[in-house]
Amino acid sequence: MLQIKPILAALKRHKAGTILIAMQIALTLAIVCNALFIIQQRVDRLSRPTGMDENNVLAIQNRWVSVDGKDTAPLIKADVQALRQTPGVQDAFATNSFPLRGGGWSTGVNLVPKNEGKSTAQTTLYFVDDHALAVYGAQLIAGRNFTADEVITADPKDIKSTAQVIVTKALADKLYPKGDALGKQLYLGGKDIPPSTIIGIVARLQVPWNGTWSDNFNDNAMLLPVQLTSNYTIYLIRAKPGQLADVVNSAPAALLKTSRMRVISGDRAVRTYEQVRGDAYKNDRGMAILMGVICVILLAITAAGIVGLTSFWVGQRRKQIGVRRALGATKRDILSYFLTENLMIGVAGVVIGVGLAIGMNLWMVSQFEMARLSIVYVVVGVVALLLLGQAAVLAPAMRAAKVPPVEATRSV
Amino acid sequence: MLKMTHLSKVYRTEVVETYALRDFNIDVKEGEFVAVTGPSGSGKTTFLTIAGLLETFTGGEYHLDGVEVSNLNDNARSKIRNEKIGFIFQAFNLIPDLNVYDNVEVPLRYRGMKALERKQRIMDALERVGLASRAKHYPAELSGGQQQRVAIARALAGSPRLLLADEPTGNLDTQMARGVMELLEEIHREGATIVMVTHDPELATRAQRNVHVIDGQVVDLAEDPRFHQQQARAGAPA
Repeated sequence: MLQIKPILAALKRHKAGTILIAMQIALTLAIVCNALFIIQQRVDRLSRPTGMDENNVLAIQNRWVSVDGKDTAPLIKADVQALRQTPGVQDAFATNSFPLRGGGWSTGVNLVPKNEGKSTAQTTLYFVDDHALAVYGAQLIAGRNFTADEVITADPKDIKSTAQVIVTKALADKLYPKGDALGKQLYLGGKDIPPSTIIGIVARLQVPWNGTWSDNFNDNAMLLPVQLTSNYTIYLIRAKPGQLADVVNSAPAALLKTSRMRVISGDRAVRTYEQVRGDAYKNDRGMAILMGVICVILLAITAAGIVGLTSFWVGQRRKQIGVRRALGATKRDILSYFLTENLMIGVAGVVIGVGLAIGMNLWMVSQFEMARLSIVYVVVGVVALLLLGQAAVLAPAMRAAKVPPVEATRSV
Repeated sequence: MLKMTHLSKVYRTEVVETYALRDFNIDVKEGEFVAVTGPSGSGKTTFLTIAGLLETFTGGEYHLDGVEVSNLNDNARSKIRNEKIGFIFQAFNLIPDLNVYDNVEVPLRYRGMKALERKQRIMDALERVGLASRAKHYPAELSGGQQQRVAIARALAGSPRLLLADEPTGNLDTQMARGVMELLEEIHREGATIVMVTHDPELATRAQRNVHVIDGQVVDLAEDPRFHQQQARAGAPA
């Protein structure tokens, strides 16, 4: 039975409670929509592939002690040899960084010398050798790998460009949208820096960062055949299947056996890729959990508010319910009255809440470089809040429906 | 119209059984105006709540408008209350959140009546009790007498076969009470069946027939010694 008009009339006489619950629903909707959106973004980020076969890869961060950076080339070469000969190790190489490490090199890339135009794309630079693709487990989809004699040894400050580079497909497509990047040239500097030729394209390799600032070049990576001489060296090691746990212990031991003039210590010194991923997304995971907890608490408080107010109203209107029953209302009419009343407050709340949700998102877009809120989250939030309201009101509404008609004759 | 035969109503707790009505017999014909009187606690209000299907009874039979009601389910009882019975309560029992118009509309909405017909019936009923001009007022803005008139309009709007009034003037001063009684008499003259519970002997005399209830039973006043004792205590002739 249609009861909207009398319910509206009754609600007008109970403005305070009605407005409070409607505003609570509105605020909950606004916060929950945005929180769900943030959670989804974090979950999307957590599940981004690095382009590597992560299950068997280990990273060791090594700092040389009492050795000049420029003198590290033979030491690094010996280390890599030792690692490759360690039982359980399939392959290894030295590098400056790796996907999800948290720090690395980035630069602009152009199709003309840099001082003749703006960068076409932003990319990270990984300095690697001819073993890198095998260690990454990266898929070479066009061209070829580096050869051993293409790998040069250089000090970081002397590196301007290399004759050959391998790029990810994302970077290749950005530079050459027609898909014809292989064999083409690119510039990492001005006129005085020689161009590099793209000799290979890999399917995917993520940048070392996972923050929002690198979101627009997340898969733009460039491999340069350079063995860096530096006080700080990272070894990426690929273990044979099933032997990673052993290599975690044997690889650092092999390095220390080669030379003790080094420091391999700290939480981040020896990490499997599972740990690398865990460390990289710690904040994202924490934020997603925090947002989830906030959502649950807010929804629980809103549901409790609805239960509380409706229970109060049922108690307050007990005699009135008895009168309605005496005048012919069925139990279902009474149940429907309270459900409809809650739905009307809920609809008012979600209408305001949709505006608040969009406004809150626009503010975050302007302040925190957040993405625009998808309408799907608003729709899901609206449906969830209305269903929550109906579920919360059900118990007190059923209590109301049980008020007997004889209540009408009882004095208050 | 209303016939109760050997009807009983027992309130049971773990240790005691209390008979509110015992072997209660009454037969109200269509078009009658019956006053049910009796002292406090005699069972007259219990009779009215059972007659109005607000409560169930424990034993006996109750025929309302030819229908035996003891086996009806809750929905069927609601339907009968809505369509066949008009209630007038001592405390008026208007819904404070609704204005006069909306209050009178309540039982009509539960009947699923169309808006146009509802409007016609509401305005007719309010005209009849002389309160058409107060349709937009809220109960709190009306005097007690006016509120009871609204309650009567609400009872009349559904054109019930039976009007049940529980101390309809109990909360009113003499002047307002007189007005309400005149209205009830007028409604009766137009053909309505009215059963009015009252403890006021003066009001009872204005009904066509008096039924006296003592200790949950209908008694013949002339023959019942309890009535004579009661009268003696009150210092009045039997």
